[in-house]
Amino acid sequence: MGTIRVRFIMVALVVSFFAVGMAAFLNYFKYKSTIGGMIKSRVLVVGRSIENSVQASLSLGLQFTELSTLPSLMEREKSADKLIRGIDVFDDTGQIIYSTEPARVGQRVMRGWTESANRSKSTEWSSEAPDEYVAGISLKNNFDLTVGYLALRYSRDYVDRAAEKTAREILLIALLAFAGIAIVAPLALILVIRRFEQDLRTLEIAASHLEDRTQGPAITGSAFDVAINHLRDSLRDANGALDDLRAKLDAAA
Amino acid sequence: MLEKNYLWRIYWQLAGVIMLCVVLGLAAVSYFSHRVFERELVPETEKKAATEGSSVRSLVLKASSYGIPFDSLYGVDKTFEEIFSENPEFSFAAITNTEGRMLYSYGKEPPGALVHFHSPALLAAMRDATVPWQVAHVGPQYVVSLPIIREGQALGVLHIGIDSVFVDRVLLEVMLDVVVVLVVSLFFTLELLNFMAGARLASGLGEFARQVERMRAGDFTATARIRANDEIGRLLRRIDAAVDHLNVRYEFLAGELQDKLRTAVGARRDALKPAMAMLEAINKRFRFGSAPKGAEGDEMNLNRIRAPLFAFILAEELTRSYLPSYVNQLLVNVPGVSPQVVIGLPIMVFMLIVALGQPYLGGWSERVGRRRAMLIGASIATVGFLATALAYNLYDLLLWRSLCALGYAMVFVAAQGYVLDRTGAQNRAQGFALFIGAIMVATVCGPSIGGILADNIGFRMSFGVSAIMSFLSILAILRLPAIEVKTPSQRPSRAPRMREIMALVLNKRFMTLTGLAAMPAKVILTGVCFYLVPLYIVSLGNTSAMAGRMLMVYAVMMVVIVPLSARLSDASMRRDRWVSIGLIISGVSGLLLLFSDSFLVLFGVVFLLGLGQALSIAAQSALVADHCADEIRIFGHDAVYGVYRLLERLGNALGPLIASVLVVFWGYQGAFVAISALVLVCGIVFTIATRGMVMEEVPAHT
Repeated sequence: MGTIRVRFIMVALVVSFFAVGMAAFLNYFKYKSTIGGMIKSRVLVVGRSIENSVQASLSLGLQFTELSTLPSLMEREKSADKLIRGIDVFDDTGQIIYSTEPARVGQRVMRGWTESANRSKSTEWSSEAPDEYVAGISLKNNFDLTVGYLALRYSRDYVDRAAEKTAREILLIALLAFAGIAIVAPLALILVIRRFEQDLRTLEIAASHLEDRTQGPAITGSAFDVAINHLRDSLRDANGALDDLRAKLDAAA
Repeated sequence: MLEKNYLWRIYWQLAGVIMLCVVLGLAAVSYFSHRVFERELVPETEKKAATEGSSVRSLVLKASSYGIPFDSLYGVDKTFEEIFSENPEFSFAAITNTEGRMLYSYGKEPPGALVHFHSPALLAAMRDATVPWQVAHVGPQYVVSLPIIREGQALGVLHIGIDSVFVDRVLLEVMLDVVVVLVVSLFFTLELLNFMAGARLASGLGEFARQVERMRAGDFTATARIRANDEIGRLLRRIDAAVDHLNVRYEFLAGELQDKLRTAVGARRDALKPAMAMLEAINKRFRFGSAPKGAEGDEMNLNRIRAPLFAFILAEELTRSYLPSYVNQLLVNVPGVSPQVVIGLPIMVFMLIVALGQPYLGGWSERVGRRRAMLIGASIATVGFLATALAYNLYDLLLWRSLCALGYAMVFVAAQGYVLDRTGAQNRAQGFALFIGAIMVATVCGPSIGGILADNIGFRMSFGVSAIMSFLSILAILRLPAIEVKTPSQRPSRAPRMREIMALVLNKRFMTLTGLAAMPAKVILTGVCFYLVPLYIVSLGNTSAMAGRMLMVYAVMMVVIVPLSARLSDASMRRDRWVSIGLIISGVSGLLLLFSDSFLVLFGVVFLLGLGQALSIAAQSALVADHCADEIRIFGHDAVYGVYRLLERLGNALGPLIASVLVVFWGYQGAFVAISALVLVCGIVFTIATRGMVMEEVPAHT
């Protein structure tokens, strides 16, 4: 196979690899963000009912730190969805006031939680921990002042497993698509560059007969015919002149 | 040139075939991914609908526990409306009683819903408290049904319909990105064809054509060149062999004649006279021997600059669509300075360093060598990109972006010098077309791919990708010839002197062009494209990928229109009119936002801006020579163009500053309008100022 043909095929393979790879990459990340968003909003549905309950209690005049029924409500809501690992309610200093895990009460949440809660432009916020995701809601009183934050911790495994499974499938699809291109593209390219290769072959054959005194191969209609004729004519002229010189030298002898 | 058109015809045919294969591949990936999405996302959406349904059900049960009759609940519609607003994939919700009669409904009822609600199997299942929920495909919807049971007594059923085309909507955004990938792939294809095959092929065919021309002119001097081991190389070797044989034959015959002349006397010497005359005639008509070394062209090495330049510029262009958003994330409170202005600072500092650095770096790259200068610049920029990816806050980000700017200026200037060194008057335009081509392709591909990357892998990782691209450019620079080429007649380049700058800044003719056309054009370019568009699009709730797509529209306009407008403006010899029209179109672009802030209008803004800039950009620099012939005679070509470029690039630095200050006072839309109005006014004043001016015929300058 000609070197030029190999290079063109390489270009096709590199470009196809890039395009198919990018498409697979985009699909994977879209899936990951969609499934992540879907699960987050599912978890937040549970959070909304806790938020409603907290707001109802606050509007009755109860203090944020005196919501005695909140832990049992949080426990009940947590059991509504197996995905949720735990629910915490913390104040603006990051100290946990209520939690479905009593041992966590009094501890401080990760700084990233309070930061993303403060950074968020809406009441919803989210954060990530090494083994779990956190979806949160800023709890506001009747005066629209933030009194604390609700954090729902849910399994990272679930999202990651779903994404991994899909990643494998998308990768397989991409590899198959690439394999298909790897078979079709060289064949299609060979068809296109056949004419070009033919032109080059004609040129090479003509070049191999440049020094022949015969007329050489006939004109083929290739793109290089004019150039080949010029080459032949130039060489014929030069050789003719040298022939004349030879003849004159011989005559002198 | 025959071989050039011939090659481009082949390139386009090859690109067409490759694109067809890519489209088929992308279609296959998209189709099968859609199926995977549907299979995986539908069950998750059903679970989400069940959770939402449970929440609604508890409200219904709470209301009925207060004694409100199940068929007279108040506010069910409102509740449905709320969950619909938060879950766009839900398209229908209803509550039926135990017989399947619809009591409350919201949204688009799927055909066959009533039959489904009355189905005995469903009604029986919904009386069982142990059944959490059931799903059925009803018409174009997946309907999730949940039993409403209070104290063991079935009250009714809650149904939530999920539109089955929601997966299509999820994938629409991906499809837009896939289209971007397709466009970028086309440009990559052409770039790679040139890099992997074309450069050698073009130089090989070019060498062949030159050899033919040389031989036609009787030049049979032999060149001692190493030929590549490919089809063209073999062909050239055969021609070299034929030329060598001819030279050997000539040497032999000339030597024989000399020998005979040395020994011949009298009649024998007279007999050699025809041969002597013949040799004289041959020497007049043909040239034999060795070709002078300087006669060898350097087209192959000239083409080699394209790959490193493309990779390096791409590294920077990748950041265009998301840099302001990244800065926004690292923002710190700078006392007395608005955050909007602070966001524009890194872009401004970058442009300022490039503007001020370039005039001095030209001479430096000449001294240290172009290749070495490019290596140093790309290395500095690689460190800059890597450090930007790890930036802690705005302050260190400014430092890292300054490194990127310094590296950018070094590589840009050195690459420009590399082209200048390897081109003469005949092929300089071709050399610069190659240089600008690499930059333009990077401008098309960079922002769009960068936006996609930033959305998916984050800003920091995307800067990491830029660092990798910059590093790849170092590898490509290493492949450039280590031996520097310098034309003996070439004067050393120098930065413009302060005296020249001052004289030109005070020169009315020069400043009419620079102050009213070149600088405003750059102000609107960087102000709108690099600052306002990325921030405004994200502020509308869109992604960086969308900002990238918008910037791609601008770049595509430039790629398509600039060659055309350059040709037409050269032909018409009314370059001032092209600049005027371009400025006025650019100026009108932002005013569109006075009528609407819709996304389509923003697209129109970028489209018009691209069109306006593309119409004026080529004519603008050529107009310097037309307009300032006297100044060029006084200060010299280099000084006038040097000051022109310096001021133009200062316009680049001013753009983000002006735009950010305008945002502080008038918001994004106001800033678009104000900056455009400024350019429009400049365009009108420029048109009036250049009316009736006689232009000297000067070819376009790159």
